[in-house]
Amino acid sequence: MNAFSYVRPRTLSDGLRLLRSGASALAGGTDLLGLMKDGLARPELLVDLTGIEGLRGWSRAKGKGLRIGALTPLVELEEAEELHRAMPILRESLRDAATLQLRTMGTVGGNLLQRNRCWYFRDQATACWLKGGTKCFAVEGENRLHAILGAHECVAVAPSDLVPALIAYDAEIALASSRGRRTMKLADLYVAPHGRERREHVLRPGELITEVRVSESALARKGAFQKAMERKAWSFALVSVAAAARIERGVARDVRLVLGGVAPIPWRVVAAERGLEGSGFDEAACAEAADRALQGAAPLRDNGYKLPLARELVRRTLRSLVV
Amino acid sequence: MTRILKSIEEFEGEVSESLVIVDGHDLPPARHDGGSPEIGRSRRRIDATQRVTGRARYTQDLYLAGMLHARILRSPHARARVRRIDTKRAEALPGVRGVLHRFNTPKTPFRGDDVIFREEVRFVGEEVCAVAADDEDTAREALALIEVDYERLPHVVDLEEALGDVAPQLESDGNVSESGSHKRGDTKRALKEADVAVDVTYRTSTQLHNALETHGAVALYDGEMLTVWESTQHVFGVRTGLKNALKLPYSRIRVICDYMGGGFGAKNGVGKYTIVASLFAMRFGKAVRCVLTRDEENLAAGNRSATLQQLRLGAKGGRITAIEHTSWSNSGQGKWIANPTGPTNTLYEVANVNTRSYKVVTNAGSLSAFRAPGYVEGAFALESAIDELAEAAGVDPLTLRRRHAGAGKDPITGNRYSDKHLLECYRIGAKEIGWDRRRAGGTRGSAPHRRRGIGMASQIWGGGGGPPAYATVHVDPDGSVVLTAGTQDIGTGTRTVLAQICADELGVELDDVRVQIGDSAGPFGPMSAGSMTLASVGPAVRLAAHDAREQLLGAAAGVLETPKAELRLEAGAIVSKGARTPLGEVLGKVDNNTVIGKGIRFPNADDLAQKTFSAQFAEVEVDVRTGEIFVERIVAALDVGRIVNPLTAASQVEGGVIQGIGFALSEERIVDRALGRVMSGNLEGYKVPTVKDVPTIVVKFVDRPDRRANNLGAKGLGEPPIIPTAAAIANAVANATGARVRHSPLTRARVLEALALAGIRD
Ligand SMILES: Cc1cc2nc3c(=O)[nH]c(=O)nc-3n(C[C@H](O)[C@H](O)[C@H](O)COP(=O)(O)OP(=O)(O)OC[C@H]3O[C@@H](n4cnc5c(N)ncnc54)[C@H](O)[C@@H]3O)c2cc1C
Ligand code: SF4
Repeated sequence: MNAFSYVRPRTLSDGLRLLRSGASALAGGTDLLGLMKDGLARPELLVDLTGIEGLRGWSRAKGKGLRIGALTPLVELEEAEELHRAMPILRESLRDAATLQLRTMGTVGGNLLQRNRCWYFRDQATACWLKGGTKCFAVEGENRLHAILGAHECVAVAPSDLVPALIAYDAEIALASSRGRRTMKLADLYVAPHGRERREHVLRPGELITEVRVSESALARKGAFQKAMERKAWSFALVSVAAAARIERGVARDVRLVLGGVAPIPWRVVAAERGLEGSGFDEAACAEAADRALQGAAPLRDNGYKLPLARELVRRTLRSLVV
Repeated sequence: MTRILKSIEEFEGEVSESLVIVDGHDLPPARHDGGSPEIGRSRRRIDATQRVTGRARYTQDLYLAGMLHARILRSPHARARVRRIDTKRAEALPGVRGVLHRFNTPKTPFRGDDVIFREEVRFVGEEVCAVAADDEDTAREALALIEVDYERLPHVVDLEEALGDVAPQLESDGNVSESGSHKRGDTKRALKEADVAVDVTYRTSTQLHNALETHGAVALYDGEMLTVWESTQHVFGVRTGLKNALKLPYSRIRVICDYMGGGFGAKNGVGKYTIVASLFAMRFGKAVRCVLTRDEENLAAGNRSATLQQLRLGAKGGRITAIEHTSWSNSGQGKWIANPTGPTNTLYEVANVNTRSYKVVTNAGSLSAFRAPGYVEGAFALESAIDELAEAAGVDPLTLRRRHAGAGKDPITGNRYSDKHLLECYRIGAKEIGWDRRRAGGTRGSAPHRRRGIGMASQIWGGGGGPPAYATVHVDPDGSVVLTAGTQDIGTGTRTVLAQICADELGVELDDVRVQIGDSAGPFGPMSAGSMTLASVGPAVRLAAHDAREQLLGAAAGVLETPKAELRLEAGAIVSKGARTPLGEVLGKVDNNTVIGKGIRFPNADDLAQKTFSAQFAEVEVDVRTGEIFVERIVAALDVGRIVNPLTAASQVEGGVIQGIGFALSEERIVDRALGRVMSGNLEGYKVPTVKDVPTIVVKFVDRPDRRANNLGAKGLGEPPIIPTAAAIANAVANATGARVRHSPLTRARVLEALALAGIRD
């Protein structure tokens, strides 16, 4: 690990001011410290956000939807009963994410911005394309965990379990930097690395996520989440599926279907969502949606199994919304 | 009278003969009437408090004053010639004390090579240089400043690629060499005459040990003595390795392993890190610590070889008539292989057997022994194939095995087994799992798309132990006892069971016995491997305790002026006609005298085969649309002779089963073929079972002493429980679904593929 300085500001404005070039925001550190130890991140200054007032915790004001502070530890989302009633998919998606220790340290903002787990990326000795090299080693190498959909130069997959769940609820994020504030759809934060864009998200330098927001209308949706792993715990998703819909008299509205672990970005499948709109999530409609979800899939040497696996998880997750 | 006797021992499937110096006579078998105060009783580990309070000192915990830190530069290439090494910048770094490499390191024989830094490095992770510095960070930084000029050479890391014609040939006689064969009867004819036959290929992936404590050593040299603390399964083996490498006499080397965080076979001898630490220690006259990181551990500290195995089996009239088994093992840069055909050669009484096993060298990290090396891989293939044959023949797979499991003799040597209760294991296990619930084709599972199945597999393994092994029992005048034995506790509970044997035989309380092991300054003992610790050292301890007791009774007879024949030693007191005098009180009369009992391990009978046997039964559910396997229950029924401590014995079985589940379902080293790098080098990528992956494990022991094996009647238990687990699970999966997965671990990809092949999944 390189030498670095460390500060723990008390206010957001101090934090933003300190986040000049060479500085990195530190939340729970469960991803960043690992990257630093492996020489994959070399910040000169760590700006610890955990001392900043008002970034931690969540609230739900009548009619104003849900606001979750970016510094809220994942375990709080998982354990709060009121939150569970408002948005059960949070607990469902976090239950099998990482481990309890990691969820206790790890925060919402950090989860949204965690870097991919491609083993070539995480291996300091391998200068792959995403790290500025010339080639992606996974394409022709060991790719059982890699993308089957939507990849360009880099076939790493979006790792988070929480993100597909939030996107299924049209979550927005609030951003702040020393130059001002903005909001965006969480889904728009992510890009599949390509061309000169050798990164997984579009957060600007010096910018912080302050909050995640879910609108009141989205909270009316019913949601479900499923995840397939290589063992029964402490595993990133081979495939994960988040689905949500408003169900009015047995008919689906505002259907959302988002997959994790299959593409470089959280893989929302609008075509499948449209096909389900107005359906009752009957077997046939779910099976068709599952097929649509995987349209265009281009498996690599070792990850073809993700197709049947994803298809079945999609079908099951959708079905579970009505049965 | 001192004399020399011949002994036959088996170590990890290899039988050898040795000579032993003995004196006096062995004891008759220990009684087994339930009246033993200690043997057969569940006892908490005597070092449990030390361990759970963090006071137990492991090699990694050792930080000595003024200690230097050594780190190793490892080859980034799978194969390359080291042409030039420039250490100027590294040595200029403040805090760096020195660098070792092939151009400045004296000859230090190591496992068949005469140097530790080879000119041609042959796998990613092979040692190229070592740095000693004042602290760990400086040492690590220095590694990055060393410039090595490598001439890259063509490499091959994959087993099946190495077998092919286009692969670079790594040895003058090619990549493949035969390492063992066995033939009895005529398999060709038997296969031709068979009613049914199966011809199947199995694969097993490379499994990494990943003991909690990584490999490492701390060396200290004071100008006279080299003292090395090492996380090892054999303090004497490390001592021998250092003697050979450094040309020091035994008397000037002391190796200590106090507590140890697991080895599983990968810590059976000296490591390059030991030699590096020792060379630096001798050069600087300081303590030097060299401990591997997890990543290094998974590159260069051994593994269970990947295998490719072909089996042909024939049956006639409901009996197995022929087995042909050919196996190839990826030994990496190892110089031996663990033989996967071992179980095929000896587990069942089959008239016609023809097996051959090959070593394949590659540019990958070398194998090392790994808990029942060879047999785990071999049992997966053999026991899967037996089920496939049973299915083809329309015979219940347990019934088929029963027909061949009763033999009383080793089919290779013709020697009688000292004892064998495999059929009893079948009976106990079948009853416990409810084998009669098993249906061909499986049953419905607990949810739609879930199928349920039961499978089983069995095992043969050594575990008889043997000489030489020594113990002494010192009894101090206050009645407290120090048991010293040539062994180490690698986490199995050795300390505890030896204390029990000592207390039992001597007639003192368990708490009165302090156990001194893990130190080459004491008498010799075998490596804690090959399931031989208890069966080797236990009988010596018993004899030493017996010797001490005889002396104590003699002394007590003098002190109490009572005939020795009227005295007993029980629970720390001399008992005479109902009167109890505490031992300390008796010995107080002869203050400062020390009673020293001596014990050795007597030879094994040279016309008997000491083996362990067991069977495991697995009940699983399989989600046939996602390929997920749910192991619900494992029943292990074992015949390992007498059980000294049911609690520690059960924990060995549970540990073995869990490691077997890892081998069966999730543990797999993944190597990039082009780079030669291990991609699953940490505990995120390399998936050992978590607590959620562990099913209910039911442990049953036959618990009958093997009176012909040794004076305790106990045999080894470390390895038997990992051998049949994977096959039992694969057989249960096949029973549940009709899909046969022939490659362990049974990952999603493999299960889904097999389900599709079997037409179960769309
Ligand atoms: C072994 C392991 C297994 C895991 N398994 C899973 C899993 O199964 N599913 C899953 O979803 N996740 C998993 N994770 C990821 C884990 O959830 C994340 O590491 C965690 O959520 C990150 O949160 P953190 O607060 O520790 O982030 P940090 O490590 O502190 O930060 C991560 C990144 O986000 C940036 N950052 C943090 N907060 C903000 C903010 N408010 N604004 C702007 N930038 C910010 C940091 O600068 C850094 O670049 C796993 C992690 C590990 C180590
Ligand atoms: S998938 Fe992406 S991160 Fe992985 S090797 Fe390819 S470019 Fe690098």
